[in-house]
Amino acid sequence: MSYQIEEQKVFNSGHSACPGCSEALAIRFILNTLGPDTIAVVPPSCIAIISGPQPLSSMRIPVYQSTLESSAASAAGIKRALTAQGNDHTTVVAIAGDGGTYDIGFQSLSSAAERGEDIIYICLDNEGYMNTGSQKSSATPSLAYTTSTPAGKGTPKKNMAEIMAAHDIPYLATATTGYPEDLARKVAKAQRLTGGLRFIVALVPCLDGWGIPDSAGPKVSRLAVESGVFPLYEVENGVNYTLNFGPKDVPVADYTALQKRYRHLTAKDQEFLQKEVDGNWARLAKKF
Amino acid sequence: MSDAKARIPSIWTTGWTDQLRTGTWRNAVAVHKKRGAPCHGACPVEGEIPLWVRQMREGDSLGAWQTLVAHNPLPAVVGRTCHHPCETGCNRNDYDGAVSINALEQYLGDLAIQEDWALPAPEAELESRVAVVGAGPAGLSCAYHLRRRGFRVALYDANPELGGVLRYGVPEYRLPRKVLAAEVKRIVALGVEVVAGRALSARDLPELEENFAAVFIAFGAQAPKMLPQFPRDDRRVMGGLAFLRLVAKADPPELGAEVLVIGGGSVAMDVAGCALRLGSRVRVVSLESREALPATAEEVEDALLEGATLIDAAMVKEVEEAQGGRLKLRCLKAELDPAAPAGAIWPLEVAGSDFELLADTVILAVGQDPELADWQESVELQGRLVKVDRRFMTSRPGLFAAGDLASDQRLVSVAIGDGKRAAGCIADYLQGGKRDRPKAETEAKTAAEATEETNAEAEAEAEGPEVAFSDINTFYFPKKEPRQREKVAACERSSDFREIKLGFNPARAALQAERCFSCGACTKCDNCFYFCPDMAIVKDPSLPLQYQVLDQYCKGCGCCLAECPRGAVSAKEESK
Repeated sequence: MSYQIEEQKVFNSGHSACPGCSEALAIRFILNTLGPDTIAVVPPSCIAIISGPQPLSSMRIPVYQSTLESSAASAAGIKRALTAQGNDHTTVVAIAGDGGTYDIGFQSLSSAAERGEDIIYICLDNEGYMNTGSQKSSATPSLAYTTSTPAGKGTPKKNMAEIMAAHDIPYLATATTGYPEDLARKVAKAQRLTGGLRFIVALVPCLDGWGIPDSAGPKVSRLAVESGVFPLYEVENGVNYTLNFGPKDVPVADYTALQKRYRHLTAKDQEFLQKEVDGNWARLAKKF
Repeated sequence: MSDAKARIPSIWTTGWTDQLRTGTWRNAVAVHKKRGAPCHGACPVEGEIPLWVRQMREGDSLGAWQTLVAHNPLPAVVGRTCHHPCETGCNRNDYDGAVSINALEQYLGDLAIQEDWALPAPEAELESRVAVVGAGPAGLSCAYHLRRRGFRVALYDANPELGGVLRYGVPEYRLPRKVLAAEVKRIVALGVEVVAGRALSARDLPELEENFAAVFIAFGAQAPKMLPQFPRDDRRVMGGLAFLRLVAKADPPELGAEVLVIGGGSVAMDVAGCALRLGSRVRVVSLESREALPATAEEVEDALLEGATLIDAAMVKEVEEAQGGRLKLRCLKAELDPAAPAGAIWPLEVAGSDFELLADTVILAVGQDPELADWQESVELQGRLVKVDRRFMTSRPGLFAAGDLASDQRLVSVAIGDGKRAAGCIADYLQGGKRDRPKAETEAKTAAEATEETNAEAEAEAEGPEVAFSDINTFYFPKKEPRQREKVAACERSSDFREIKLGFNPARAALQAERCFSCGACTKCDNCFYFCPDMAIVKDPSLPLQYQVLDQYCKGCGCCLAECPRGAVSAKEESK
């Protein structure tokens, strides 16, 4: 790996994430890239669990636990307060799950983006309310099992990256834990491109919620990219699209085969998913 | 500090999670452990292939060559003549084609000759003298490994030049003489005393045993197997090795226009290639079908490309005189009896498949036996071979044997490997001093040896099972075309004995070395470090394997195992 992580111990061992947790891996890369001069805002989520348990913290930086609706607003407030104090160096980052981003925290995120708040917002997307026992969110993909969609979800995943691109924010990127170097580079770029809200949505497989072995998080994450389910790309100012890692002719079935949340799929279902992924990719590919 | 603590309300953070011991959650812990690579496991000389390929990849050609010659003093020779089971075993076969290990070996061997690199000097100078009889692959290898250990070695050979079958059997177009000569010279330069042109027999044994602490015989298998259908003492019928020998001495016999080669092994293919180059039309008659020929697929393909015709699954029934001084061979198609015991060939005639072949010369290449007629008084034989124990000792204490005279595996690299192992056994024999020591001491030594063996077994176990393709994380290895060595075009070959394999240039060699997975051998890629969600692996350059697994934090998830590209991290089960 050419990227050399500078392990500043901003994120500590001993945290309470499940063995093999991809979210913890993402947090490791995010916090070590942002460095100790950072304030994090974390809404209720696994991220809050991982950062705790009170009175101990795994994050050696100030962490503010907001309400589920208000992480973007809280981060914006903290950043404005720092600016008012003359602090122009501290990075403020909101790290939220997909429930807190796609669903409950969406209005505060959208308005913070519209106001051009000088913060980084990172969504660790595990495609459901995994912390509370795997309920569906609007990030849950078509046909995936959750406890609230026992027969598989009947509607597709919300396209958060394109929604945020439509806000014409300075920087937007998709990332995932199977490509840690790419993730870290994007976090560093988000930190650099100040002057508005920077948004990263990182796909982080949930071992328990998706039904995958403890050691398979990075592998499943890479299959999501190689099958075209989750292409890795960046958008600057809502218009300049760059593809980093796109589909590599891997069938979507190879990706779903490793996950128990898809084990009820019929051949017809697989075909449906493949078509959906192909369609999404065809639409996205035009933008590069 | 205590003031500060008192001021902080307890709902605020008072410490860090690193005081929590999440290591207690696990039932298996990650261990960085070197594991065996299948190429190494398959290598007849146990040549540490992943190590030298990696040294090459890192630009250390000299180091790579030194690793090679720690096991095999003839890399340029073996790089041309080995049947390379390493490539058959290579995990990359299941991906995009094996690494061209044999071509890399040739490349390093040739580079060493070009750069005039010397073999490392003997570790010590010892008093004991060892006689090595026969300077073929086994003898050269044994002499070299004994000399490296510091023994005084006298190397005897019946021929004026050293190399045995490499010099007088393998044709020039497969192994140029100057390559062999260069590598032999380097071995001799270590201080091996050479007595060439002197054929020794069993009658010389007492004298050798008088003058040497141990004797190693490896004079190969020279006596051709004959077939009863063919006339004896007929200049139109000759043995394969005898023919190759004449070709090697640049004194080829008159063959006539039509040559029939009987046999399907490597010697038969070499004979065919030579006869073609001497201008004859060549047909090869083999008992086995093409798929089952004992020669390697590459050797058969070369012979056919060069213009030989293969008549497979056929047997010669009778031989008659034909017009014009030719021989007429009455042949039949044959099937092999599947009921035959392993190793034996029982042909079944296919009724009505008779055909005839005419030949000016018939060359029999159906195998060779060692010439042991005058040895059976001195040593115990086993069938047509000299009987040796697993320490390569014959029934006569102090007399060791290896190579074609003691083995059915007629392969250059197997002979070199046996020569190396025999050298180790001879050294143990001489230095262990089992011969003249009091009984008590001998017993003590045996006990010590037993411990040593147990340790060696424990070590092998510690190394873990051989790396399989399923242990390789192919994401980290983009597919790359194998691109084997190129060869001189077939149409240009038949005119002379020029070498047909074109060695790699430095760029091609580097590209090929890049393809190695380095199965089971950590290359410090840091993946285990990067993919640990618990920061339970830390880098410490002072450690032999660079990484330390923090026992107190490792939750046993196995991400480091899964993300290790090459199977160099293992899981160690722990019981609570």
